[in-house]
Amino acid sequence: MQNRNASTNAGLAVLTVVFLGLGAFFLVSGGGRPVPRQNIPLVDPKFLSTAPWRQTYADLVRTNQDLSDYDCYGCHEKNKPPPIRYDLNHKIIIPKEHSDIVMGHGAHDRNNLCYNCHNEQNLLTLQVRDGREVGFDNIPQLCGSCHGPNLRDWEAGAHGRTGGYWNRSLGPMQRLSCANCHNPHAPRIPTREPAPGPHSLHGPAGSPAPVETAP
Amino acid sequence: MSTLPPPPDPTSDASLSRRSFLRGCAAFGGLTALAASLAPLREMGDYTSTEQFLQKYYKELTPDDMAKVIARIEGEVQKEYGIRPHVRDLKPMDGVEFVYCLNLTRCIGCRKCVHACVAENNQSRNPEIQYIRVLKMPHGSMDVEKGNHTYDAKEVPEKGFFYMPVQCQQCHNPPCVKVCPVNATWQEKDGITVIDYDWCIGCRYCEAACPYWARRFNFTKPEIPKERLNPNMSYLGNRPRKQGVMEKCHFCIQRTRAGRYPACLEVCPVGARKFGNILDPESEVSYILREKRVFIQLKEEMGTSPRFFYYFDK
Repeated sequence: MQNRNASTNAGLAVLTVVFLGLGAFFLVSGGGRPVPRQNIPLVDPKFLSTAPWRQTYADLVRTNQDLSDYDCYGCHEKNKPPPIRYDLNHKIIIPKEHSDIVMGHGAHDRNNLCYNCHNEQNLLTLQVRDGREVGFDNIPQLCGSCHGPNLRDWEAGAHGRTGGYWNRSLGPMQRLSCANCHNPHAPRIPTREPAPGPHSLHGPAGSPAPVETAP
Repeated sequence: MSTLPPPPDPTSDASLSRRSFLRGCAAFGGLTALAASLAPLREMGDYTSTEQFLQKYYKELTPDDMAKVIARIEGEVQKEYGIRPHVRDLKPMDGVEFVYCLNLTRCIGCRKCVHACVAENNQSRNPEIQYIRVLKMPHGSMDVEKGNHTYDAKEVPEKGFFYMPVQCQQCHNPPCVKVCPVNATWQEKDGITVIDYDWCIGCRYCEAACPYWARRFNFTKPEIPKERLNPNMSYLGNRPRKQGVMEKCHFCIQRTRAGRYPACLEVCPVGARKFGNILDPESEVSYILREKRVFIQLKEEMGTSPRFFYYFDK
């Protein structure tokens, strides 16, 4: 009897030590604590902007902005179409007064005759290939004279950005003109910086330990 | 176990028998364990008020009930964020079925739609919850297994890749609705599959059932900075969620049921996203499905019949 009591007590003592040790281990290792969150910065508001990339002549008129770029006869002489020069590779030589223009229209940039679109008789207007005059505020008609399918899609609302109301009885649908997105001299959409990608709950694989934000 | 303990032996010098000592210990331990296991209930009040707990099912709410529910939500949001929101319960319009079309020729993978969606729909910023994933896919393949949504490029689009944004496809035959054990998610007659965040029990069956990985779970209380809270809210849409409920894209129900375009469409810088009423033959989406080379409904073989179409220009 005495013997059994002694062995039971010894067993209990061992168990107590084991459990206390386990408790201390869990406290130190933090097994039950919530996973620390990583620090995710708020996205730059520039990625939330719905403003169009470019401003057209019509936008400048509407918002009463500087139109001096369109005052062609401030420098050019009337009834004297400016000459166009090419280098040996058939690349257009851009005069230094227009050095802001980057030409890149058409396959191999070959749509490089200014008077394909500008009206040589009246630089204040544009012209389609059949000679019809088109104002700077009516670009879709000009672009559509070559890019017919795109004009058709644009008129149906299937090409280009839209905004506002899908339900026309509740409000207007906002449309943009060709030049709000495309640079007419180099219409291909340039590459852009993408907005930040998703952060996983525990940070990307192989990255350093996540930063704890909240205590 | 109805055996009574034997009477204490009066000749023993211990005043407590071993059996009753052990029994007392066991009872004390059991009670302690029960109390510890119920401890999380003390935090219940943070995310379930009595009114919400007793609230009826969405489809059984009368207009009066709904007005009370909306007043409760507006009060909760004001208390939490200090901003009085405008919460509405917009119903589907007659003769309207929404369809989304996405032009894979145009998408440049800039991820602006992802963040416009987060801003519009009051998603948690940390941990991040995003409804849209933009997959970067190699040219010449439509296999989504080859897609990568964590790409980190200086400039997009990258040569040799195209970009395919994936979000809730608003299926005609939604698997997520079928598996919900409490009918907290259902398809409305304008085609939007909605979630009642007050009815969801957070079992995540729908997340497992969705073949598009479109549903997101709030593992923690969502973290939304006050200055970025969108006060234009809808009951089934973008009101702030609680911890432990599912959420997903609802075609910006607070905008589209008021006649406006979704936020992801308005922010798309290349006009790759098109949205409208498929029952209106004059709408852009009707034109696209009629005239364009419409590729698939994603994972067509699943039989889900999405209302989200991908198409090409050329």
